[in-house]
Amino acid sequence: MSYATKLELPWVEKYRPHLLKDIVGNEDTVQRLQTIAADGNMPHMIISGLPGIGKTTSIHCLAHELLGDAYSQAVLELNASDDRGIEVVRNQIKHFAQKKCTLPAGKHKIIILDEADSMTSGAQQALRRTMELYSNTTRFAFACNQSNKIIEPLQSRCAILRYSKLTDEQVLKRLLEIIKLEDVQYTNDGLEAIIFTAEGDMRQAINNLQSTVAGFGLVNGENVFQIVDSPHPLIVKRMLLSGSLDESLQYLKELWVKGYSAVDIVITCFRVMKNLDEVKETVRLEMIKEIGFTHMRILEGVGTHLQLSGMLAKIQKLKS
Amino acid sequence: MGDITDKLRAAKNKRAGHGTNHASPKKPKKVKSQAAETIDLDLDDDELELLASQPRRSRSNTTAADEKEQSPAKKPRISEPSSNGLTKPDVSRVKKSDSPQTVKELLDSIPSVDLDNVTTKEATQFSWKGAGGDGSGASSELEIPEGQANCLLGLTIVFTGTLPNLDRSTSENLAKRYGARVTKSISKNTSVVVLGEEAGPKKLENIKKLGIKAIDEEGFKRLIAGMPAGGGDNQQADKARRKLQEQQEQAMKEAEQMAKEQEEREKKDKLSVGKDVNLSSKSTVTEDSKLWTTKYAPTDLRQLCGNKGAIQKLKTWLESWSSGKKPSMRAVMLSGPPGIGKTTAAHLVAKSLGYDVLEKNASDVRSKGLLNASVKFALDHKSVIGMFKSISDDHYSKNGKRFVIIMDEVDGMSGGDRGGVGQLAQYCRKTNTPMILICNERNLPKMRPFDHSVLDIPFRRPDAQAVKARLMTIAMREKFKLDPNVIDRLVSVTRGDMRQIINLLSTVTTTSKSIGSDNIKSLSDNWEKNVALKIFDITPKLLSGGIYTENGAKQFPLYKKMELYFDDFDFTPLMIQENYTSTTPTLLRKGQTHLNAVAAAAESISEGDLVDKKIRSAEQQWSLLPLHAVLSTVRPASMVAGNVTRRINFSAFLGQNSKTGKFYRLLQDIQYHTRLSTSTNKMGLRLQYMPTMKRHLLDPLLRDGSAAIENVINFMDDYYLSKDHWDSIMQFYVGTDDTTAALKSIPSSTKSAFTRAYNNVSHPTPIMKLGVSTGRATAAARPDFEDVVDNDDEVPVEEENPKDEDEIDFKKDKFIKQVGKKKTKSKTKKVSSKK
Repeated sequence: MSYATKLELPWVEKYRPHLLKDIVGNEDTVQRLQTIAADGNMPHMIISGLPGIGKTTSIHCLAHELLGDAYSQAVLELNASDDRGIEVVRNQIKHFAQKKCTLPAGKHKIIILDEADSMTSGAQQALRRTMELYSNTTRFAFACNQSNKIIEPLQSRCAILRYSKLTDEQVLKRLLEIIKLEDVQYTNDGLEAIIFTAEGDMRQAINNLQSTVAGFGLVNGENVFQIVDSPHPLIVKRMLLSGSLDESLQYLKELWVKGYSAVDIVITCFRVMKNLDEVKETVRLEMIKEIGFTHMRILEGVGTHLQLSGMLAKIQKLKS
Repeated sequence: MGDITDKLRAAKNKRAGHGTNHASPKKPKKVKSQAAETIDLDLDDDELELLASQPRRSRSNTTAADEKEQSPAKKPRISEPSSNGLTKPDVSRVKKSDSPQTVKELLDSIPSVDLDNVTTKEATQFSWKGAGGDGSGASSELEIPEGQANCLLGLTIVFTGTLPNLDRSTSENLAKRYGARVTKSISKNTSVVVLGEEAGPKKLENIKKLGIKAIDEEGFKRLIAGMPAGGGDNQQADKARRKLQEQQEQAMKEAEQMAKEQEEREKKDKLSVGKDVNLSSKSTVTEDSKLWTTKYAPTDLRQLCGNKGAIQKLKTWLESWSSGKKPSMRAVMLSGPPGIGKTTAAHLVAKSLGYDVLEKNASDVRSKGLLNASVKFALDHKSVIGMFKSISDDHYSKNGKRFVIIMDEVDGMSGGDRGGVGQLAQYCRKTNTPMILICNERNLPKMRPFDHSVLDIPFRRPDAQAVKARLMTIAMREKFKLDPNVIDRLVSVTRGDMRQIINLLSTVTTTSKSIGSDNIKSLSDNWEKNVALKIFDITPKLLSGGIYTENGAKQFPLYKKMELYFDDFDFTPLMIQENYTSTTPTLLRKGQTHLNAVAAAAESISEGDLVDKKIRSAEQQWSLLPLHAVLSTVRPASMVAGNVTRRINFSAFLGQNSKTGKFYRLLQDIQYHTRLSTSTNKMGLRLQYMPTMKRHLLDPLLRDGSAAIENVINFMDDYYLSKDHWDSIMQFYVGTDDTTAALKSIPSSTKSAFTRAYNNVSHPTPIMKLGVSTGRATAAARPDFEDVVDNDDEVPVEEENPKDEDEIDFKKDKFIKQVGKKKTKSKTKKVSSKK
């Protein structure tokens, strides 16, 4: 492969799994899908979970394994970029469901509705009876981030598969495979940084890896955080938890000198504080209030070092 | 705005529906238990009669189901006399007469609560402080005791009051898990009462009267920890155990029977299909490649789980059509949550009576026009299919040419279905064909047109007993192991959604061939339905103290609380603001009073408002939304959280806000008019002029009656005020100045004299005219705009036109209405003449 084509293809696409067995994480669910792929008779299903954990990929793999060559004619895929209003559901989807398609026994046409949580409830309502009436020939697969945005009647008709966040080890394993194939120079703290910032999102991890490689060639902690361009949550956490004001101001200085904007710092503070279990919740709410007010002032235009210092001082005061 | 009013209406509706929903499922049970014998016997007779004409298999089927229905099971029924041969152990009596050793010993070892020292609800004033202390102190040792399996079997437990650590549902679930019966009211059957703070005084009295053992939470924990597996070797536990086993065996037997029947039927079907070559070539779909929900879809009315009464009602209604006379309601509305068999019931009932079905659902366009084009013609027509059907069946010969219209998912009529609901409601009144409408939410405002034109048949979620046999059949046919004990759990996880349970089973069994107590936990976590909560569920959840204690925060962390806000971030803050004073805080810090807490919460809410302004004003800083979640909702809620003592009210802000807007508009109008003789702004007018105006506008009328009218009118003319302004000014006064009483005390003769006097005289008007123009003014203006085109007089022209249009519209409306009336009348006449 020439250097140019190597650059053209995002690694996320290049290393997207094509078989169910290659999918990382959620072993139980994936195994269930494999059984379905082998036996046929796929139920209607909803796969829900956070972004970047392989929902769409699993559905595609499943459809490919089930239908093989017939994929092109027996699969209708619609995602949020397509028009999926009630009109489309009543026309395009219904017509596809009525379409005759010669498939081996136990195989069905599949309608994939990606990002189904962005469909209007009217459109979802219109799917209900279609799903039932044509279930002998057509099966539906939904992928969504929040399953509560899918109306209850649809949930009732589907097998709900919840994908959980990938663990750091799972992300690491896949990253190492890619690194080996792409022959990437890396350090351990670089990989750690990538995994930390991805928070279980495989797509983000791979994208960050590729960006770092494209930008610097070497994957180490510093380079990764330059690519990711948000203050390191660990530093922010230390800054918020440190015992004395001087210490936390030192951390702030460190971040400030690196050139992070006040908005980025304060937003990261908010996010870190929200899940900071070390602090009691009542105190945390007070701290969040202070951070929030600083955020407001910064948005008003006073994104200064002084504001952030003031915020830290107030947080320090709340600790005592 | 329209959006908000819609929501408001929906919320109100929901609240209205709330009470009835809660009360209704309980009622029938109670009634049944009281009149158990008669009713049950009646039912049996009826059904037996019904069954007499049916093949044998079904008979054994239903009687079995009946028997199961009648066995006391876990339902809180007071013992009822056995009515059909099945002898049931009378648990209650056994319990009372010869108390067992182990339970008694254990109970004796647990200190009972001193009943006179228990705080009751009246005593809250002095006790809540103590309760607050308890909440914070005891929360550290929240450990749910582990007991032996079924160790509470045979015990009947009543929970009352607030337990310090366990909340009500947890403790009840705990007791149920170990096999105890949990009831709400204390009777002589009750074996143990678990008392908490603030128990009802009535209950305490009952406990004393009946001499029932009362224990506290500690005691309850010890009870669980101390009891041997299976409820010990005493008599009552033994009986209960036996009963449980009996039940299971029965369910298994039924399942086997059902499975056998189904197989037979299928064999028969296959045979008949085999004969008919045409059909067999068509049906290429094999059983194996069908969804389980299709494969095991009920093919017979008796296979439907639960809602027997509703189905019977539907059947009776449809039967009344075939007798030639139309029933009083020409359409029925089946309503209920998804997955409990509404559509199936409608289809099966139609099929069983030999009706042909015309179905329209949400996947069809159902706008007013299209309904007119497709459904309207069907209303008076007959089915063609019926003519080609074999007439061997008795029903077919009678109803073969008839059909029933099923309108599915009526509440799913939305964008593109404009006017559909209204049109459908109209059809319901005049149709000559039975119509069955199906919806999920009957209480939605958009379903209101159906209110008086349909017969409502609500469907309820079936309970575990009702679905057990069916699920066991499926398990048997699909050859996987299903522990009958976990069915309860499945039902509660899916909230009684039969279809969901079948889907769950079909998916799970692809990998594991047995479902028992070992893997049910992970299953139920995964399959719990995830529906966005409504504001009336969110608010009490946020205001309950349990989630803010240290342990509660671990189980329900901050981000989850914020998620509650995001479920409806327009209304949740308003709801918190409305209801934050209706709690008794349990988490007060030392030295803090309730008032302090409320003040702090109010402070936080107002800070939240500052943030809200940044978000929704021109700045549109939506990145502050999480902050708003904390400041407006989570933080104030955390300060006052505790026991919600009053009903959760809907936010009054919307109403008050629009009232404020209305007064501002009125004030603006008055200010425009008085501008020529006053020199102030709106605020000044309200604050300085209006109090004085009252003295000149109202007081003379009160004092001197009709004699003062002239003075008042002169005063009004000085300020260019009209009679309408006089009325609206009177609404402005508040507090001691409030005029409602004074206005009533003016004699009506004075009032009418005032109006007449005002109308008789012409009044000076400022250039800007916002009110209604008098006839003379327009008459005077009319000649003007023939000569002069662009002049000030354009104002009256503009005013006149809409008025004219209004009149025309009104006439038109009247016209249409009259015509419509005539039409319907003639129609009904036609109908009656036809008959």
